[in-house]
Amino acid sequence: MRDVAIIGVGMGSRWGKYNGSLIEMMAEASLSAIDDAGTDNIDAVFVANMGAGRINNQTALGSALIDYLNLFPAVGASIENGPASGATAARIGYMAITSGLHDVVMITGGEKMRVAPGPVVTDFVATMAHPEAEYIHGITFPSLGAFLARLYFEKYGVTSEDLARIAIKNHQNGLKNPHAHIQQNITMEGILTSREAALNNPMIADPLHLYDMCPVTDGAASLIMCSMDKVQEFSNSRFVKFAGTGQGMDTMAVHEREDPTFLKAVDIASNQAFKMAGLTRKDIDFAEIHDAFEILELAELESAGFFERGKAHLAVREGETELTGTFPVNTSGGLKARGHPVGATGVAQLCELVWQLRGEAGERQVLNKPKHGYAVNFGGFGNNVVSTILSRVEE
Amino acid sequence: MTEHTPIGYKCLKCGKIHYPRHGRCLQCKNREFEEVAVPTKGKLVTFTKLKAPPSGIASRSLFLGIIDLGEVGYTGQLDVENIDDLQVGMELEATWKQVRIIDNRAIHGFVWGLP
Repeated sequence: MRDVAIIGVGMGSRWGKYNGSLIEMMAEASLSAIDDAGTDNIDAVFVANMGAGRINNQTALGSALIDYLNLFPAVGASIENGPASGATAARIGYMAITSGLHDVVMITGGEKMRVAPGPVVTDFVATMAHPEAEYIHGITFPSLGAFLARLYFEKYGVTSEDLARIAIKNHQNGLKNPHAHIQQNITMEGILTSREAALNNPMIADPLHLYDMCPVTDGAASLIMCSMDKVQEFSNSRFVKFAGTGQGMDTMAVHEREDPTFLKAVDIASNQAFKMAGLTRKDIDFAEIHDAFEILELAELESAGFFERGKAHLAVREGETELTGTFPVNTSGGLKARGHPVGATGVAQLCELVWQLRGEAGERQVLNKPKHGYAVNFGGFGNNVVSTILSRVEE
Repeated sequence: MTEHTPIGYKCLKCGKIHYPRHGRCLQCKNREFEEVAVPTKGKLVTFTKLKAPPSGIASRSLFLGIIDLGEVGYTGQLDVENIDDLQVGMELEATWKQVRIIDNRAIHGFVWGLP
């Protein structure tokens, strides 16, 4: 089986509110990845998107992006796998290259969510929940995040302060990321302990406050994948190895899980990715974790095997997951600060891994030349998860 | 069996009870099930007060939870006035009520309140 490299990445302009069309936004990101790779000789394009058919009245985005950018004769398709669409599309790109079907594949994720009012976006995301057992009762994703947080509070002694610490850390990292949507210096006083905190940081889904969850964001991200044996033909850039990918599943209705605090799909996906990469958890230098809710940063780190169950918050208290800590997590700012345009997130996580492994992450660069980075892209409420490991190629 | 009793779907091969319905058993992959009554009372596993309910919910906030009925779980709305009325592990009982309006249709389901 052929090895696969990522030879170019890009995220276009800063995430937040995009005034142009969805395709224009995805095209910006795609062109930045093409320029980074130094080639537009692309065989296939996979576009990751969750809901353009519903909120932007546009479908068949793979065809649309190829047409808009004149990437003919490249072929393409849209990949929809909820908020895990991005890493799923990269995984499919990996399959397309390792199978020998294509040599160079572009993955572009994008979501333009701020066109719709908040309740409409919340309802759109909630359509991932089980239609009869969850959705009709008014279950939204913040409520599922709150269920998990309360279980963690009861079982492991996690507190609102612990969640705030994660949000503060991720916003600190986001301040150093020019692509991040929310560039804001938040403090424990401002969001939790002062009199004004209740106004700044209202309760949304008890026990989760506004700053315990990600914002609604427009954004796109893109990467160019290439067969490792063809890298020299196409690339004028630094490349990294697509070392491992895994995908795991769990029941759709959260109440059917034996232990809702253990994210089985994260465990399965991670074990597969580590096995493929031939690495252990100790080999990983930094990670991008899907913190749609800050409680997920803890639960995913534990279920992925980086910390013992119920112990990740203790590492956060000790500063281990900060940029200068022993295991930096969400150096990009994570979903909390970078934002979470659902179809784009998994691709943006891989962009961050590539920039870190190439030593190009600027002020947020992980020290000591990191060799291996891990990302988890969390779909549904953990019923469909993709883990990816990227590795620096020794010169 | 009336629609006003919480039901589960019992696998005719291995006996595992499911809610919601699946096309194949989660334990043995058998395709045949029978509807069985499940307890109308259960224990609260986790809960929230949602300040931003989705469209089709009339109230400005919504109490939601997961209820353990023994062999199955249910997710649903909680019929209480205040979050302080709720505690993990407390007993709740099901009542059949309108839960939401979706596409101009009234949707009914089980709402869980104090026995």
